[in-house]
Amino acid sequence: MNGFLLNTLFSLLLLFAVSDALSAPDKLGICITCHGVDGRGNEAVGAPKIAGMEDWHIRDQLLGFQKQYRGTHASDGYGKEMKAMADFLTESEIEELIKWIGKWPTDTTPATVAGDSGNGQVLYAACAICHGTNGQGNAALKSPALAGQNDWYLLRQLHNFKSSRRGTHPNDGYGQQMQSMMNSLPDGEAMRDVVAFIQSLPIPD
Amino acid sequence: MAKPFTRRDFLNLVGAAGGSAAVFQVTTALGITPVIENSMAPRLSPLNGRKCKVILLGAGISALTSAYELSKAGYECVILEASHRAGGRNFTLRHGDFIDEVGNPQQCQFDDEPHLYMNAGAARIPHTHHKILSYCKELGVELEIFENDNRNAWVQDPKFNLGKPVRNKEYLADARGFMAELMAKSMDPEDLDAPFSELDAELLLNFIKRYGDLSDKGLYKGSTRAGYLSGGMLSPGVKKGVFDFSELLKADFWKFRMHWAEAPDQGSPLLQPVGGMDMIVKGFMKKVGHLVTTGAQVRSIMNKSDSIAVEYEHQGKLKQIEADYCLNSIPTHLVTGLIHNFPTRYVEGLKAVGRGNLTKIGFQANQRFWEKESIYGGISWTNQDIQQIWYPSHGIHLEKGIILGAYVFGNKNGQMWGELKHEERIERALLQGEQVHPDYRKHLSAGVTIPWHRMNHMLGCDSRWSQQARTSYFKVLQQATGRHFMMGDQISYHPAWQEGAVSSAHFTINEIDKRERANRVASL
Repeated sequence: MNGFLLNTLFSLLLLFAVSDALSAPDKLGICITCHGVDGRGNEAVGAPKIAGMEDWHIRDQLLGFQKQYRGTHASDGYGKEMKAMADFLTESEIEELIKWIGKWPTDTTPATVAGDSGNGQVLYAACAICHGTNGQGNAALKSPALAGQNDWYLLRQLHNFKSSRRGTHPNDGYGQQMQSMMNSLPDGEAMRDVVAFIQSLPIPD
Repeated sequence: MAKPFTRRDFLNLVGAAGGSAAVFQVTTALGITPVIENSMAPRLSPLNGRKCKVILLGAGISALTSAYELSKAGYECVILEASHRAGGRNFTLRHGDFIDEVGNPQQCQFDDEPHLYMNAGAARIPHTHHKILSYCKELGVELEIFENDNRNAWVQDPKFNLGKPVRNKEYLADARGFMAELMAKSMDPEDLDAPFSELDAELLLNFIKRYGDLSDKGLYKGSTRAGYLSGGMLSPGVKKGVFDFSELLKADFWKFRMHWAEAPDQGSPLLQPVGGMDMIVKGFMKKVGHLVTTGAQVRSIMNKSDSIAVEYEHQGKLKQIEADYCLNSIPTHLVTGLIHNFPTRYVEGLKAVGRGNLTKIGFQANQRFWEKESIYGGISWTNQDIQQIWYPSHGIHLEKGIILGAYVFGNKNGQMWGELKHEERIERALLQGEQVHPDYRKHLSAGVTIPWHRMNHMLGCDSRWSQQARTSYFKVLQQATGRHFMMGDQISYHPAWQEGAVSSAHFTINEIDKRERANRVASL
């Protein structure tokens, strides 16, 4: 095949590769490879639900990856995977992405973490101050919604905070706040219990 | 501490070996020796004008095989492929090709010459993989020998020989020599008792001497098997010096790589298609290419009472098709991110299969420097985390060549390479390659990196089945749920091999054939 034809073909292929998801802004369709159809989350690849996530939270986290305070800890493999994607986005693409994600329906997530949700409810009292009684989140405090998120993802992040994989970077003020709250969840059992309780909360409007 | 191994213990072992040889002779006479597994595709009953529609998800080897066979029998097939190309992990990189890694899209910068390609996924066909080999024959895909076990390539390990590489054959000769010497020293006919006769003992001793190339006295004094230090043509060949056995033991080589070519899929000869592994894909595409839609990303798969519906996005539009069957070769770990109505246990099975993280890195070499070191094809092994350097079996003595600068398997290592940025991967591979070939960096350019667990629409290489997952879920996923079949090398005992993909395809289309035969009987 001659060079011109190959080049033309390559351009066409590139075009295909970047526009292959329904109404996905250019090159952003790639999100659903990991996060699943309509950002529903996919446990098998460790990618959480992003449907229903607050605009400000998506923006903060993507910027956090870009500004090195997320996804840089040596043993945060999933964080590093996400960081490679976040680094790839421009500011305007992040805004486009937020609009796109905002169109997705948000469904309940299956319960996968076994825990004592009664005990979890007691423990949750400490969480409710920032994240709201029903886990609906509080933008003013930069506390994201927890209700409706994948339970396995919440558990992983609690472990990340507990083990200092997350929330220790000097530029991650809110992460540090969250890390300091981990005293109220002394061990894995407490974390599973509180996650089991959050799982029982209805998805916020 | 274990009790010392006596000569008697040793001879007991030898006696046991003699016993099994005798058994083998008897079974051969009775015709119970291993037979080649049937390489033929299942003979599908032709539909003879009846309608039956099959949707195939993913255009890798299993779907192409299935569509090819089903079409021959009159089935209507549709293949939906999410990426920009057919072939899946049968992926040959040439000038200008697009590498769709998430977060790191690349364009292959190799020169535009027919021999300058790299098989970034499947790269060797064992002589025992009869099914894929018979498709090569049927589709007119010309094959050539692939050098897998090159005794003249290098063995390098920072812990051994001060990190300086030695020829594979030198390590092998010395290691075998020392082992044989140890065995020979334990053989003293006077100490032998029945049923081991003196003649047996002498034969065994000779065997050991030949095995390790020992002196008449049963001592290892080096071997020309390791290659000559000098001479050998117009002057007598001079043997190389001998490594200290304790030095040989320092290298990790003996743990696994030394026995590479003894593994069932790695023994000589292996084969590769002339011009690139994707000649197989091209061969299939000539037959079924018109059935393939690329850029079609599946959203949902819903079993209905008398059909199965698949919803997908293509060029910004949402589309839906219904069919009698769906053969799904989308990786198990991505199926779980789709909308579906599969039973709980089936979904548990999909989630139980792990994903491999094999990584390959390739470079274009402006000259074939390895051939100046008398290396033609094959693999150099290093204990650094590039693990291997592959030299092309084709294009020998041409000016340039494509070298595989890393082929990484193993979970931790694979994960590490995926987490590095493209430029970091290239630099790391060059640095490590320099430990094997001093002028490595000088000759190399156009690096490409393919971590399969980071490739768009894949996010994994070989499916990793734990023993527990195999026991609990292999049969669950191999059988249909409703009208939906999981398929591909992932649903075989040979993940990451094309033979696994074809075997799974044959199994699946045979299941469909059984159902259709039953339907036909029922409608009579």
